[in-house]
Amino acid sequence: MLKKDLMMRNPLRAVSDESGYILPEGGLGAVVARAGVGKTALLVQLALNSLLKGDNALHISLGDPVRKVSLWYREVFNNIGTHYKIDKIDDLWNELLPQRFIMTFNIDGFSVPRLDERLTELADQDIFHPQMILIDGLPFNDQVKRTDLHALKELSEKFNSHIWFTVRSHRHEEPDSEGMPIQISEFADLLDVAIKLEPEENEIKLKVLKGCGSISSQALSLDSATMLIKE
Amino acid sequence: MSKELNNVRNIGISAHIDSGKTTLTERILFYTNKIHAIHDVKGKDGVGAVMDSMELEKERGITIASAATFCEWNNFEINIIDTPGHVDFTIEVERSLRVLDGAILVLCSVGGVQSQSITVDQQMKRYNVPCIAFINKCDRSGANPERVIDQLIEKLGHNAVAMQIPIGLEVDHQGVVDLSTMKATYFDGENGEILRSEEIPAELAEKAAEKREELIEAASNYCDDLADAFLEEQEISAEMILSAMRKGVLARKITPVYMGSAYKNKGVQPLLDAATQLLPNPSEVTNIALDLDQDEDEIVLGSDTEGQAVALAFKLEDGQYGQLTYIRVYQGTLSKGDTLINTRSGKKIKIGRLVQMHSNQMEDINSIPAGYIGALFGIDCASGDTFADPKLNYSMTSMFVPEPVISLALVPKDNKSQINMSKALNRFSKEDPTFRTHVDDETNETIIEGMGELHLEVYVERMQREYGAEVSTGQPRVAYRETITRRAEFNYTHKKQTGGSGQYGRVAGYMEPFGDGEFDFINKVTGGSIPTQFISSCEKGFKAGLIKGALMEFPVTGIRVEINDGAAHSVDSSEMAFQAAARGAFLEAYRKAKPVIHEPIMKVVIETPTEFQGTVMGTINQRRGTILGAQEEGPMCVVESQVPLAEMFGYSTVLRSSTQGKAQFTMEFANYKQVPQSITEELQKKREDEAKKGAA
Repeated sequence: MLKKDLMMRNPLRAVSDESGYILPEGGLGAVVARAGVGKTALLVQLALNSLLKGDNALHISLGDPVRKVSLWYREVFNNIGTHYKIDKIDDLWNELLPQRFIMTFNIDGFSVPRLDERLTELADQDIFHPQMILIDGLPFNDQVKRTDLHALKELSEKFNSHIWFTVRSHRHEEPDSEGMPIQISEFADLLDVAIKLEPEENEIKLKVLKGCGSISSQALSLDSATMLIKE
Repeated sequence: MSKELNNVRNIGISAHIDSGKTTLTERILFYTNKIHAIHDVKGKDGVGAVMDSMELEKERGITIASAATFCEWNNFEINIIDTPGHVDFTIEVERSLRVLDGAILVLCSVGGVQSQSITVDQQMKRYNVPCIAFINKCDRSGANPERVIDQLIEKLGHNAVAMQIPIGLEVDHQGVVDLSTMKATYFDGENGEILRSEEIPAELAEKAAEKREELIEAASNYCDDLADAFLEEQEISAEMILSAMRKGVLARKITPVYMGSAYKNKGVQPLLDAATQLLPNPSEVTNIALDLDQDEDEIVLGSDTEGQAVALAFKLEDGQYGQLTYIRVYQGTLSKGDTLINTRSGKKIKIGRLVQMHSNQMEDINSIPAGYIGALFGIDCASGDTFADPKLNYSMTSMFVPEPVISLALVPKDNKSQINMSKALNRFSKEDPTFRTHVDDETNETIIEGMGELHLEVYVERMQREYGAEVSTGQPRVAYRETITRRAEFNYTHKKQTGGSGQYGRVAGYMEPFGDGEFDFINKVTGGSIPTQFISSCEKGFKAGLIKGALMEFPVTGIRVEINDGAAHSVDSSEMAFQAAARGAFLEAYRKAKPVIHEPIMKVVIETPTEFQGTVMGTINQRRGTILGAQEEGPMCVVESQVPLAEMFGYSTVLRSSTQGKAQFTMEFANYKQVPQSITEELQKKREDEAKKGAA
């Protein structure tokens, strides 16, 4: 009941389809923002949304240790608990915990074939089957190639999953002619959804650059104090 | 004993298991002329390291109990506490840190910051212990001190700064470059005892200059003179750097990093220099006591040797001549013949023999001044007790003692073993507050309780070796608990009329879940429906219900009881009647309050080569574990998980055999969680089977 209630009140439903998904199976989505604006906070909320639906989420962080990523989840979840005045938040958290898996790699140690290897291992042993994969910290500025995105798309199809990743933009860079940040401009056709976070006065607007049907491009924002999504 | 506190250092050596701290301590004792030969921890010569004084430690190659020892270096008096690395013995580490002024955090240059280093680091933070780091095993294949420094920064959040760079790594490790003096140091002689100072090798000059600049930049945050000199590009002396670093270390703002290989006799003497130059002397540390006469007000103790004495017993050992009590004096001086008070028990003690310890050898002394660590003979006390001048009623801040999570039944082989076992248990439970013992009322078995399987195993072995107590052990038992999940009302009348005066009492109210708390009792009875003198009997009755839950006879926690009504009889009501009424009320409501079983969940961290990552995760999965995450770092991977303790028995063997002995794990208590229904049923069935067996 508690989970359903939280889902009902979840502002992300504005950008989701009828069954609560933003991305289709095998789809790719990007969250673009400058450093410190809230990419990870949004990613974690996308993951929590998935966990509440009963789906499994695999969070991959390139650079941060497991403990730090865990802390992000706990922090955001506690904020949600306070915001919606949920009793027994610990019980709900314990219930969701087995649905989340964190993997961290050094940026140099990460590659799509390696991730494929790890996921296959987890699936073969029936340890974890993710319906959602989140990758935080892919180096879009220099190292990521179009072939990598193709490989990620294949991977998400192979595991009946969808993938969200963060893209770091820079203040001084102008978007391309289509309005896409230059970091993803060459991959835009491979993306199903692209969301940009833009700070405006006391809040951070979620600007839909691509996908999400016909919703108003600035329907949602992040509260700058709690980093929670609000309508 | 000298009374010049500036030249005293009380330091601990803390680290992950197998990162070489016992070897390091052994080398320190050798270079300070406390011992005259070096023996390996797992010594082929059969002697073993001096610090591992217990036979068992020598055999297992691990350090279990802290041995306090004293040595001298460049006119500095250093008390060293060698601390155990295994998490099961964390209480020992915590106790050591309580009495230390500074610590050396030993890290393995290959393994880096491992899970236990994180635990030890948290403990150091809790007791505010300034530290310096030593990256050991630079001679090992895969050594990478720079990576370890990065991990200190990233994983532990230390502001770690290299004080040295290595000259060669792995088999080519020859010495270190000191970045404050910009000299290369080599360690010659059979045991590295001859230090040779030379110019920096040409190929390292550029790197050394770059790292020195980083060091100065970091150090200049703690000294304006150094910052000015740095900005004005003046010449900067080693003393200026060290003095600034010292300020940073004392404030716990910076962690200077030294390196070398204790086993290959490299880098130990510069580390000793650093310990004397950078770590605080006892007068630079603020120590707080609680004034028991003033509602536990905090009192800052003076480090002067003339004041009224205050000392803390931080470790007990059973020696040839009776109980040896390790103490740290915080204020005043403890002298032979003095009379002090044990503030916990209120008993007077007279100081007889005082000694200074060097592992298992000792030296008689006449007094122990403030700031020093020493030992007393013939004092009956428990670990953690405070001794103070009779005019003071101070207690040193209490230490955090976790509740035991596992128990084991012991059966002595014969009468002699029974007597020896009692002696041993009495001693161990005094030495170690996390080790407890009691006799089960029903089975009459002696039960020991502790923090993990290994913790209890070690005590069973010690019992046999040190006390000649032959005991057989039952299966380890997990400390399950019962609790309720919903509110339930009660209205219970206890009535008995069996001739003579009867018994009558009625209590009404409700019970409800009380989160992480143990038990809460609220009296809301108005109008005297239960006379005031019987309220405490009601509380006693409810408390009696907590001892054994009605579900599976496990202890009950997390219950709040409120009584708001009742009835009494002018003749038949008594304390006993109301206790019985409360017990009945408890039982009545308990069933309705949907009781469940909770089990201890352990945080299990496994470090494994990446190729075994999947296998290791499989072993966790088979044990009802939740994998929180996997962290890949080069060839190694750290798997963090939460696993019920009940599933962890014998795990070390499983892990060893499934990873060719290449993985290791640490385990510590995380929290209590509800047992799944299927497991509850299994437990119930097991209980019934046992009961049937018992009846047969």
